[in-house]
Amino acid sequence: MFGTYNLDVHLEEEGIELRVEGTGRRRRYYRKAGGEEVEKVVYADRAKLIVCPVEPVNVPDTTISEHLLTELTTPAVIASGSRDTFYVKFPVEIGVFVVDSRDVERIDIFTKTQPKYTLYGPPERGIVCKWWKSDLYMEEPEVDRLFEGVMQVDVKNDYYQWMELHHVVFWAFDMKIFYNRHAFMHAHLTIQKRTIGETSFITHKPKNMHKAVDIYQAKGLKKLKEKYVMEWGFQ
Amino acid sequence: MNIMGALQDVWNYQLGTGGPKVWEVAQFVLIIVAAIVIARVIRTNIRRIMKERVPKNTLSNMEKLVYYTIVFVGFVIAMSTIGFSLSGLLVAGGIMGIVIGFASQTVVSNLISGLFLIIEKPIKIGDGVNIDDVAGIVEDVRILSTTIRTYDGIYTRLPNEKVFSSNIQNYVAHGARRFSYSVGIRYRDDADQAKEIITNLLESHPLVLKNPAPQVFVEELGNSSVNLKVRMWAPSTHWYGVYTEMLWKIKVALEKEGIQIPFPQRVVWFADTLKGDITTDRQA
Repeated sequence: MFGTYNLDVHLEEEGIELRVEGTGRRRRYYRKAGGEEVEKVVYADRAKLIVCPVEPVNVPDTTISEHLLTELTTPAVIASGSRDTFYVKFPVEIGVFVVDSRDVERIDIFTKTQPKYTLYGPPERGIVCKWWKSDLYMEEPEVDRLFEGVMQVDVKNDYYQWMELHHVVFWAFDMKIFYNRHAFMHAHLTIQKRTIGETSFITHKPKNMHKAVDIYQAKGLKKLKEKYVMEWGFQ
Repeated sequence: MNIMGALQDVWNYQLGTGGPKVWEVAQFVLIIVAAIVIARVIRTNIRRIMKERVPKNTLSNMEKLVYYTIVFVGFVIAMSTIGFSLSGLLVAGGIMGIVIGFASQTVVSNLISGLFLIIEKPIKIGDGVNIDDVAGIVEDVRILSTTIRTYDGIYTRLPNEKVFSSNIQNYVAHGARRFSYSVGIRYRDDADQAKEIITNLLESHPLVLKNPAPQVFVEELGNSSVNLKVRMWAPSTHWYGVYTEMLWKIKVALEKEGIQIPFPQRVVWFADTLKGDITTDRQA
């Protein structure tokens, strides 16, 4: 499903159907996933269609949240001063873009996952986050690639005490998504204090992977900061 | 020659004794108009460039600051062309300010309230608010007044003094908000089953927040029903859609499982046993 295609593509996989029909400048885009169908007319001379995973905070509405909170089914207890790497899964949202030499335009985003939101922090100051629950894996897990992606998390505990990690919050503006067979992100978590930590993403493209279209970059929205500070703890 | 001479006379005509000449007044008007045009062009460009990069409220304040600064500078320059010096203007402005201040206390009060509203930011453009029983979306926070588009789409202007001194309810100041329903079920229905059905329904809705978790509990043993309280949190920006959607969904989900919402009913006990057989009477 993921990849770059000409504007005459027809893809079908795991209950998702996506096609572009017609010839010349006027094409008809059609997508069916779950119970939802979308149709759009695309006017383009020379353009390509990119289908790739995007920041998982866009469905059902892009205005609800810019953050992803991953709740760990099994909490992790981390010793002071230690570093480790674990893996979690994240919900996949699939973006469809038309791209030519001048611009990239998002025409569709959909997901097979059931979206759910949660509040991180107290009601008066907290933020609404997209919620996802994942097991914690010591090695890269197998995933249903159109449903979940893999996130590698390098964790470092700079606090002088043991810390118990129940959830991690990531900022979509900062996400760097890559894909080949499945979607992949590489994040970093630094625990600084009992209730304060910092999450960021590693920009380095892993071998044999493609970089997904960055929605915020595509729209010319500059990234003023590249990290998210978790202010309300890890439990 | 005569026409040109006449035009030149008009052009150099002095308005009053020691007053500015016509060409100086024309220059004054031209500078003011130029300043306004330049201010508008810059304001439009700022809006275009910054629209997607800064919050709406900040953008609005930025636009106003730039616009009024340019107009003010243009005004000062224009005044110097008709013989008013900046220092004289400031002195005159100070005296005039005192005079105007006394004459228009309400305006000054609104102005100061407006400045405090801009600094304190209890409301921002686009917020859903209720101020002095006017509920709607904040359209603009100006120096003297705040405009609100009510939920009926009516333009409402509130003086800033009133906004500042009123109780302000800002529905979207916090990320999430809670709302609740009361749902009555029959005494013969299983309240635990009803709670489970409602909880599952809330769990399946994307915008009913996972945390703080929704609450479903028996609130009251009413006259005709067992009343359940259903509380849930939703993102402040989207709560109303959830609020209007969930109550009916709860009703449908309960009825699907055979749990009904009862009508008001009253059991009447007679002190004496009724004489006569009603069934027999009816048959008769």
